[in-house]
Amino acid sequence: MPKIVYLILFIATTLSAQTKMSTIEADALKTKVKALAATTKTISSDFTQYKHLDFLSNDIITTGKLAFKTPDVVKWEYVKPFKYSVLFKNKTLYINDEGNKSNIDIGSSEQFKQLNKLIINSVKGDMFNDDEFDISYYKNQGNSEVHFGPKDKKFEKFIKAFHITFNSKGDVVEVKMIEPSNDYTRIVFSNRVLNTPLADEIFAH
Amino acid sequence: MRYLLISFCFMCIGCASYTKKNNFIKRETSDIEIRNLYFSDKTQDYVYKANIDVYKKHFGGIFIVKKIEDKNHRIVFTTEMGNKIFDFSFINESFTVNYILEDFNKKILINILKKDFKALIEENPVLLNTFSYQNDVVFEAKINNDKHYYYNTNNEINKIVRTGNRKEKVVFTFSEISDTIANLIMIEHKNLKLKINLKSIQK
Repeated sequence: MPKIVYLILFIATTLSAQTKMSTIEADALKTKVKALAATTKTISSDFTQYKHLDFLSNDIITTGKLAFKTPDVVKWEYVKPFKYSVLFKNKTLYINDEGNKSNIDIGSSEQFKQLNKLIINSVKGDMFNDDEFDISYYKNQGNSEVHFGPKDKKFEKFIKAFHITFNSKGDVVEVKMIEPSNDYTRIVFSNRVLNTPLADEIFAH
Repeated sequence: MRYLLISFCFMCIGCASYTKKNNFIKRETSDIEIRNLYFSDKTQDYVYKANIDVYKKHFGGIFIVKKIEDKNHRIVFTTEMGNKIFDFSFINESFTVNYILEDFNKKILINILKKDFKALIEENPVLLNTFSYQNDVVFEAKINNDKHYYYNTNNEINKIVRTGNRKEKVVFTFSEISDTIANLIMIEHKNLKLKINLKSIQK
């Protein structure tokens, strides 16, 4: 009987294929991601969002587009199954909810400033701040996966951890935000292009 | 004296019950029962894009309902980006707040939502009377202590009205119905500036 247990354990560990990185490997990844983030002037990408709630039969899937321009202009746009976009620009958050437009002045809100920073840092992958997060590094089938656990107690109430997956170039392919309840939002990027000039119309409102 | 009479007449009209005011015609209540099937399928994830207007403020999100078991529903509201705003459970007659964002954690708000959502998911409310109104059959029923009027056209519920003091308090409208899914649901409060629009985003 114990043999079977060992066998199952062995299979389970091989299948998960996620191993912890050495400090040298982790430092190398960090350097690579930071270097890429520093030279990233624009990002244009499609994304698929999977909202996982444990009690649902299926994840809720939404798709859309991301556009980023230095230093801090970001547009996060859902296209299917509904049209909804948020645009961070000039200290304002512009919302377009199926044609219903509104905006929020971020200048006065510390929370929104943080949210803006967080979105930019997570789409670039550069969240390597040991003061703000407990960070651990893993290898996963040719990709790297980094887990960021917020240290701030208030923040921890919303998000238990961010798991960011990087490809071999150090670019972000996936962001997973895990809630304290273990429900999560997983965002998978595709057609991601860096540093291509983006027309001003993309960021118009 | 004449004024007194007139005002007395007005008072009487004002006092008339919801069914009288609307000229409902009473029908024999036979062995009919009300079945609200809009959130009754356990295999179905009910997912809606929500638009909420409250006191000139507009905000949106994703409204999710799941029937876990008989008399057991879970209702969750998240932002479009997936952050949970609230998470409620309705099990038998009990109600639990599993999670609510601090800014929304107001007793008065939770009570309004609890009543509204209970009316959405209640499958067999207690039937009191049956009426005819134009082409509809209207069932008068009770959920907790509130009277609810279920308007049925061709055996489909197209409207639920909750009354209080004989007046319409909340109107639930169901439209674009396919099978047992209402693709459009509107919840409109008459005594508060609150309107919730739900649009199904399932294929």
